[in-house]
Amino acid sequence: MDSASDNSRSLGYETGPKAAPSKTRTDYTKFVFIGPAVIWIVAFTIFPLFYALYTSLYTYRFGQRFGFVGVGNFTRLVTDENLLSSLRVTLSFVAGTVTVEMVLGVALALLLSREIRGTNVMRGIATLPLFATPVAVGYLAITLYYEQDGPINSLIQAFGGKGIPWLSDPFWALVAVILVDIWQWTPFVFLITLAGLQGLPSELYDAARVDGAGAFQNFRYLTLPLLAPLLWLILLLRLVEAFRVFDIPVSLTLGGPGRATEVYSLYTYRTALRFFDHGYAAAQGILLLVIVMLIVSLIFSRIRGLYEEER
Amino acid sequence: MRLAYRTGLGAITVLALFLVLFPFYWAFLNSIKRPEETFQPTWIPFLQFQPTLEHWRSQLATPEIRHALLNSVIISIGAATLALALGTLAAYGLARFRFNRPSNGALTTWFLSQRVLPPVMFVTPFFLLMRQFGLLDSVLALVLLNATFTLPFAVIILSQTFRELPRELEEAALVDGASHLQSFLSVVLPLALPGLAATWVICMAFSWNEFLFALSLTSKSAIPMPVIIAGAEHTRGVQFWFVGVNVLLTMLVPIVLALLAQRYIIRGLTLGAVKG
Repeated sequence: MDSASDNSRSLGYETGPKAAPSKTRTDYTKFVFIGPAVIWIVAFTIFPLFYALYTSLYTYRFGQRFGFVGVGNFTRLVTDENLLSSLRVTLSFVAGTVTVEMVLGVALALLLSREIRGTNVMRGIATLPLFATPVAVGYLAITLYYEQDGPINSLIQAFGGKGIPWLSDPFWALVAVILVDIWQWTPFVFLITLAGLQGLPSELYDAARVDGAGAFQNFRYLTLPLLAPLLWLILLLRLVEAFRVFDIPVSLTLGGPGRATEVYSLYTYRTALRFFDHGYAAAQGILLLVIVMLIVSLIFSRIRGLYEEER
Repeated sequence: MRLAYRTGLGAITVLALFLVLFPFYWAFLNSIKRPEETFQPTWIPFLQFQPTLEHWRSQLATPEIRHALLNSVIISIGAATLALALGTLAAYGLARFRFNRPSNGALTTWFLSQRVLPPVMFVTPFFLLMRQFGLLDSVLALVLLNATFTLPFAVIILSQTFRELPRELEEAALVDGASHLQSFLSVVLPLALPGLAATWVICMAFSWNEFLFALSLTSKSAIPMPVIIAGAEHTRGVQFWFVGVNVLLTMLVPIVLALLAQRYIIRGLTLGAVKG
């Protein structure tokens, strides 16, 4: 993804007869273009990141910095029952949502990819949940899950089932949060897979048909390998997003009942701004960063190819 | 067999459509039903029940909600404009110049990698820093932060947009003696206008939906819509009719914005991997 084809992107005149004088000028110009954004990110991302690292080494409570504790805040992580509980909740959430979203989204895209007529309408409709404000979705879901005569329980009862204690039972509350996330994010997997499928070269499929390949063989030996890098990218993006989940549990269950839906980000938020234990909250943030970086480094090599072609 | 396949496909499509659309319709229904009719299984306004705009009127007349809507508008427009300005420059730099050490590819990856950082790790540093600078509970703080978090989208969408533009026009302008900056302003920007508008709109939608930092850094005067929503149920109990209105008030803006920028959404969401 770097210098191989760089020549093609610099303006032609640089290599022309007047290359020498204009080149020095160009060197300054390019930094004028890219400089502001780089400085911005250094100021608003890199600096706060180091500030968090610095904070995590101190006992820092109620906006006051007390003594240096070194790795003290990090050793607390291992023994904090509540943190471990929030990590467990988050892992269940990630496993539940990402699995279902990937399977459902890819399956729907495969089923509907041949329906060229309605593509734009399908894309439009899939956009609706994706851009609906997550907090608003969670808040709306409270009324959908309403135990006494809410629409979901009414439907279950109409088919002779028993109403589910959606938000008052620890197990069902987590299921409720997971289902809302699935509603919101399956369209993401669907939308991108659909776009990927429709970008596949049709000549390959024509050739396969001539060779007498069936639908399953097409899928196994053409579609899947061609689509694999994109599917890994979708998986990566979903994992990263799912690990940081905050909005939906906050608006739907506020982490309850008890701590049944208190996800990692919510616990860290509470440590920082309810208990004002800033040093410890910073350490929690860094642990989450390490977890996410681990996932990224496991998957990143598989998606490289997606970005290579144009560089 | 063929017929059965088509029927099954149709059934799945209808079911998916229903599942996606029902929550929106449910919110709409509640927002126009009288409180005592909430639990009646009536689905068609005018035919089955007499709709009312009472809840919309009363919510839109609430000072807190009007103020929050205004804050949300200012934050989204401010953040998107800032991200667009920074992103356009950076994207053009990446699309048209050659960088060594770090290379263009490495720079792009660096911009994109900002998307991977878990936001909650910034709650503590931003809270402490904003307090230091007296920016707690200010709209400005949220403008700055949302601009930061939407900048990667702007960079990736726009650098592809610029790459798709024909070089010849810029080269012609350069040959005619225009500076790089002049050709950028008078040749490139007008050509890239659709992409710029779409990027602006997408950044607005993301900023509008942002919740974690809005919750962390505001307490009263800078509260935007998502935070209003999150607090409501705990102070007044679940009032379906107001839930309906507030939820739609909040969601409609980003959804309409996203639909406007439809063509560019996929490359934004996939960080440029798919053109869509």
